[in-house]
Formats: sequence, structure tokens, C-alpha cells
Amino acid sequence: MVDQVHKEFRKRDLLYSGALWLLSLIIPDPQLHYRREYQLRRRDLFYLLTILLLPLIWNDAHFHHLMVLAGIHGILALGLTLFLGYAGQISLGHAAFFGIGSYTTAILTTRYDISSFLAFWASGLTASFFAYLIGRPILKLKGYFLALATLGFGEIFLVLVRESPHLTGGVIGIFDIPFFSIAGFIFDTYLRQYYLIWGVLIGLVLFSKNLIRSKMGRAFLAVAASEDGASAVGIDVNGIKLGVFVMGAAFAGLAGSLFASVMSTANPDIFSLNLSVLIVMMVILGGMGNLYGPIAGAVFLTWLIDGLSRYQEYSLPIYGVILILLLIFFPDGIGTRLRVRLIYLISYWGRKRRREKVEL
Amino acid sequence: MIFLSVEEIVKNYDGVGALNRISLQVRKGTVKGLMGPNGAGKSTLFHLISGMERPDSGRIRFKEREITGLRSHEISRLGVGRTFQTLQVWGNMTVVENVLTGMHTRIKGDLLSSGLYLPWIKKSEETAMKEAKEILERLGLFGRWKWFASQLSYGEQRRLEIARALAAKPELLLLDEPAAGLTYPEAKQLAETFSRLKESGFTLLLIEHHMGMVMEIADEVAVLNNGELLAEGPPDVVKNDPGVIEAYMIRK
Repeated sequence: MVDQVHKEFRKRDLLYSGALWLLSLIIPDPQLHYRREYQLRRRDLFYLLTILLLPLIWNDAHFHHLMVLAGIHGILALGLTLFLGYAGQISLGHAAFFGIGSYTTAILTTRYDISSFLAFWASGLTASFFAYLIGRPILKLKGYFLALATLGFGEIFLVLVRESPHLTGGVIGIFDIPFFSIAGFIFDTYLRQYYLIWGVLIGLVLFSKNLIRSKMGRAFLAVAASEDGASAVGIDVNGIKLGVFVMGAAFAGLAGSLFASVMSTANPDIFSLNLSVLIVMMVILGGMGNLYGPIAGAVFLTWLIDGLSRYQEYSLPIYGVILILLLIFFPDGIGTRLRVRLIYLISYWGRKRRREKVEL
Repeated sequence: MIFLSVEEIVKNYDGVGALNRISLQVRKGTVKGLMGPNGAGKSTLFHLISGMERPDSGRIRFKEREITGLRSHEISRLGVGRTFQTLQVWGNMTVVENVLTGMHTRIKGDLLSSGLYLPWIKKSEETAMKEAKEILERLGLFGRWKWFASQLSYGEQRRLEIARALAAKPELLLLDEPAAGLTYPEAKQLAETFSRLKESGFTLLLIEHHMGMVMEIADEVAVLNNGELLAEGPPDVVKNDPGVIEAYMIRK
């Protein structure tokens, strides 16, 4: 009886398959960790065109500025998702590497007149150098202890920045950092900055995508799932953890450099624990073990914070409620689960109606 | 030729003796069975050989080289593969990815060149993929290569773990109760796999409770009890050893 109902053609099947097709345009496939032959999909084209055309269609300075921030958060979340989402380690001090990147650029460009393009790469290197120094001792810790150690590192960084005014300008920070420029082209409008940031983000996404589809990406996942299993096949567990940590810090350093040259200022309030937690939230909301999800999470949270800033006094409770709801309904993150949930939901609606019909 | 030799090894956990002056030898190209009641120290011995834990005293040599105190990934790179009593397959990856990860040390790549996807990475990854599929074919898992490892049945996960260990091309394979929880036909199939492995030149050290299986494929059997070596020798001799019979088979 039920089987017969299944085989029956109904008009709403058209609707479901149409909806699924639309979704498949937007939501990425479950990502594979080996290489397949490259083919440009409609989906990739859709993403690229959206990123390219969105600021032109929605031509508004506030929107551009918001998307610049979202892009910077996206780079941060991408770096952390390699560490948190793939290698399964927690870090609550990611904002410190963002800060190190920012201050490197700020100091190099304002005091030593080094071009912002060179400072950009130097920031990434400095952040990863510090990550190497910090990571070597603390990455032996696991779970909560690692979270506490990285949190401590973040706080120590803040104290050092505030207490060394000669180097970092102390509480006031550093001003008048020149805009990012390549070969005389200055990124001084929000629109130009938008293309700069999202261009860098796309480059880093491609890099990470190659990485997770190679032996390194598989090693990250192996370390997350079972360290004993990983070391039994010859994976240097500590080496992999350190490598991912350094890589994530390098991404954060690059993001920090872009932030400094876009905002023209660097001051310690930005790089607090709030930002670290925010980045972790972006990764968790976006989806663990997923590259696009954290970027979506970054855009979403940046918008949410901006939207709530109008209702200053209620912003914290609203923020909390939204996050809790999201974590209840999307525990694995939006990006990873949305596809599965929607397919499930659609099939559930179908089944429910059919069941009601049968019972009548 | 003595391939692996364990000399006078001692291991205590907070004063509880797990292994007391155990000495064992495994010759190249043979299958050695390791038996004993629960808590006899078999798995502890495996942990010590594979470097997951360190012995309190004593030495372990592999191919004339001392490996005591090396870290487990270093020992694995020297050619010692192992499986676990409690399954350690990676459920967050597909079956073929599990096997590819087993080849980790044989695939080229590091954080930078893999990220940039330089030409030699591509070549190395492609040959690895071909080889991974061959290994899966050999262990009868090819039909499932796209599945997530967590979707496999228990017996299939056991075989996947062996496939992963084989992918690292080990010379010595430590198998910790590979037939635990398997049905009779599955265990029989596994025994056939092991005899094929032995023919193709692998050296196996095998912890097993299935008496029939051990007697069938092992060239030599060692029996542990309460951290002591009770008997060692060909299966027929050990089977009839009065000490073994008392300690292991009929304990009243």
C-alpha cells in the first residue's frame, strides 16, 4: 500500500525536486579528501558571480564596509577551521595571532616605511613564527587544557600590547596606517577593499581546498578521530598539530595585516577574548570539517552583530538566544547539516501528508 | 633470521605488574601466535612494541636495531604496522580515504606544496589512489570504497583496519585480536587472508582467542599468563603443555 503511494506521481514532487535542484546550486557537496578531476561546476560559477556582482548591485558604502569585515572574519574562520574543524583541536587565542599580524603591519608601515604588500607577507610570517614558539609546548595538551592554555596566551598578548607603549602605542594603539597598495594602486574605497579582501579569501580557500584533499588533510582528520590510529600508520601527531596551528596562525596574521591597512588603526580592544570566541562560534555555526561553512558563519555573525548594534541594550540577550537556537537545531553547523536537514524535512513533509491520507 | 626480539621486558602500572621479564623472538616470514587469558599482558606487550607506551626496563629490537623508547610513528615508519583491539578506524573519512591515510608516509607532500598542489603531488596522489583500490579489492571491500567508514559493519571495519595497516607496507604486522566479535565464516575468511599474507612474505604477530585459527595459521605460539611467559613453541607442543592447559583452557 505504502509502496504504491510512493510510486504514484504527484505534482508536488516537481516542487520538491525543483527545490532540491535550487539547493544543489548553492550548498556544497560533502567534501572529499582525495583529488578528483577538476571541473568547473555551476555552483562555483554561482559563488564567483555572487561575490563579484553583489557589491555592484547593492551599491551602498555601509554594505561594502560590512562585507570587508565579514571577509576578514572569513579568513580568520578559515584558518581556525583547519585547526578546529579538521584537526579537532580547540584554540581560544586565535585573536592574538590576528593582533600580531595587525601590529606587524602597523609597525612596519608607519615606522619603517615598508610597502604594505611586503608587510602583508611579513605579518603572516611573524604570526606563524609566534605560533610555532607557543605551539611547541602547549599542543601536547588536550581538550579543555588546550583551550585554557590558548586562552591564557591570548590574555598575555593583550597585557604585553597594553604595557609596551613604545612598541605598540599601548592602550591608544597605532593610527594612520597607510591603505593597502600594489604597484601604486591604492585600495582606498570600501568597494576596492571589498575586492581585495574577497580576492585574498578566494585564494586562501583554494589553498586550503588543495590542502584538505591531499595527504595532509587526511592526516588532520586522522588526528582528530584517533591519535593512536594516526601514529600507528606513521603520522607524527604532534608535528601535524603544530603544522595546522602554524598554518591557522599564518592565515590570522594575513587577516590582521589586511585589517590594519583597511581600518588604518590597530588597538588592543579589537583583539580581545570576544573576538577569539566569535571566531570559534563562526566555525561551529558554519560547520566542522567544512571549508565554506565557516565563511558563511563569518558573514552571518558579522551581519548579526551589526544588526543588533542598533538595539544596544538588548543585544547580548538576543545574541545569546539566537546562538542557542542555532546550536540546538544545527549542532553540526549550518553548512554541514543544512543539506541533510532540508532533504530530511522535505521527505518528512511528504511522508506526513501521505500518512494522514492513508489513515483517513 | 630473528626479525623482532623482545628482551627481558618489564612493565608495571602503578605497582601492578603487567609484564615481568618477558623475552620473545619472531623470525622473518613466520606467524607467531600470542595467547593467554584476559589480563595476561598481551595487549600491553603490543603497546610496548609499537611505542604507544614505554617499558620500565628491557629492550626491544627490530631488524637488529634497538627501537625501545622511539615514538610510535617512528617505529611505524621503520616497518611495524599494527591494528587495535578496540577499533581505531576513522569514521569521519570514507573507506578509501582511510586506506590512503594508511599510505601517509609513502605519499609526497607537506603543508606548503600540498596546498599549492604542485605537479609531483598530483602524480603521487594518483598512484596512491590506484594502489588503495587494489588493497581494498584484495580484502573484499572494494564495493564499499565510497562509504563512510562508520557505515561499515563491525567485521568490515576490522578488515578495513587491516587494509589500512597493509597500506603502510609494513614488514611486521601486529594484529590485536583481529577476529574478536566476528562470526565464524568471517573469522575463517580472515584466517585465509592471513595465510595469503604469510605467503607473500609478511611477518605476523597475532593475539587471538580463536584456538582453531591460531593452531591453523601460526608457526609458533607463545602463551602468557599474569605477565609471565608460560610456554613457547610449535602449536602442537604448546597445546599439550600441562601448565597451559591448567592456566588457560580449563581453569577450575
